[in-house]
Amino acid sequence: MMGLLNILKKLRSNPDKELRLLLLGLDNAGKTTILKQLASEDVAHVTPTAGFNIKSVLSNGFKLNVWDIGGQRKIRPYWRNYFENTDILIYVVDCSDHQRLEETSLELAELLQDDKLRGVPLLVYANKQDLATALPASEVATLLGLHLIRDRTWQIQACVATDGTGVKEGMEWVCKNIPIKK
Amino acid sequence: MVFFNLWSVFQWYLRPFIKWFLRKTTRLCELQRICYGDKIGAQRSCNIEKSLMLSRTRDVQEVVAFLDAVVKERRFIPTLFSEILDPTVNIIIRVKKINKKLHDSFSPLFRQCLIQIWSYRQLVDEVEELRCTHFDSNDPIHEKKLLRLWGLLMPDRPLEARITKDWQDIGFQGDDPKTDFRGMGLLGLENLLYFATEYRQASNHVLSHSLHPKYGYTFAIVGINLTSMAYYLLKDGSAKTYMFNLKQHLPSINLFHKFYCYLFYEFDKMWIESKPENMMEFSIIFKKFENAVRTELADPASVFRINIEVDTI
Repeated sequence: MMGLLNILKKLRSNPDKELRLLLLGLDNAGKTTILKQLASEDVAHVTPTAGFNIKSVLSNGFKLNVWDIGGQRKIRPYWRNYFENTDILIYVVDCSDHQRLEETSLELAELLQDDKLRGVPLLVYANKQDLATALPASEVATLLGLHLIRDRTWQIQACVATDGTGVKEGMEWVCKNIPIKK
Repeated sequence: MVFFNLWSVFQWYLRPFIKWFLRKTTRLCELQRICYGDKIGAQRSCNIEKSLMLSRTRDVQEVVAFLDAVVKERRFIPTLFSEILDPTVNIIIRVKKINKKLHDSFSPLFRQCLIQIWSYRQLVDEVEELRCTHFDSNDPIHEKKLLRLWGLLMPDRPLEARITKDWQDIGFQGDDPKTDFRGMGLLGLENLLYFATEYRQASNHVLSHSLHPKYGYTFAIVGINLTSMAYYLLKDGSAKTYMFNLKQHLPSINLFHKFYCYLFYEFDKMWIESKPENMMEFSIIFKKFENAVRTELADPASVFRINIEVDTI
């Protein structure tokens, strides 16, 4: 996983560029596990996030600030407080949680309507693909209505956060779609 | 890095000379000097452990390996202590050429240290096993425990259904607590249960704080995060200060639960005193709390008062 963030420095070498990545999604989607994968940390001991986690990863002058905000209903109203200056929105979906696909779809739709996130590129991680009951990424994309998005670039990436499968590919897309700041 | 390298060089080459010199001048081996000189509890037991682990004497290394093997089989229990420890202590006395008659106080002191050190190691294994056991909703024992937790925390309100948003009232994230145990497994549930069972008043007091309209927080989720803190403090050895300084108790799973209850009670106090704006301040206050606990544990003389008392008004 060490190489994961090195991709960033290869693709762009803007010395003091700081990036703000916002990780959102319902509780138990796998946000913290993805965050830990990005920071090459152990993912075996993840606990539910009360509040938020932030990790900054330095990579050859590139500073990546990843904000992982808890997904439980009680703290979703606070998501808004973290929207400002977001460079990339990463939305994580538990593809095996069929019952809450509608809920997650509604939450995402709400995010995409927010002014502060206008035009911000969206990466959706279709997580937990290792589980037999997981829907494939393409179906999740349809359910989330991603094809209807017109005002931003987006990508859906199938992944297994617990072993890192697909996480790297998602980040490669992120690197290619870093918006140029005014 | 340089300092660290110098230190290991020192450990490897100079330690034997210093030990030899002290042995000649004091006529005591290092283990004796620790047993007689260091304060009983964390200071003494930790130094004995360090000394044993650094030893290059074959017999000592074998003793350590033997005791570790006993722990792996979970056989390090009080009824077997004399069977396990009597020969062990005798080997050390022979290897270190300690005059038994002249130093009859050494054996019991040293033995007590061994008991603490390897009880702790066995506890680490037990806790790890509980942590690795995932909460399984198909297991009736797990389910029963979960429902018992509700009954203890909300005695006047029967649970409407197994899957219900009521769980959020005791601070789980959603309708079904099972996913919230995650990386802490059954350990998180056992910790919460112990707190609710053994410290009824205190846990109710803390739960009522968590329901405060302004300073409320998610009781169970915070609890699981505290399980994680207690787990790491145990694993990296920081919790030795707490466990070795208690005269009446040996490191055991119940003592781990007590340690957790202490952390929960103290965290709650700090949270309320901090007057947080909202739940999003959790990470900051939690970190601050962890640092405070670590500072306290770093002092081998620290004794944690475990008797949680609630003012009843």
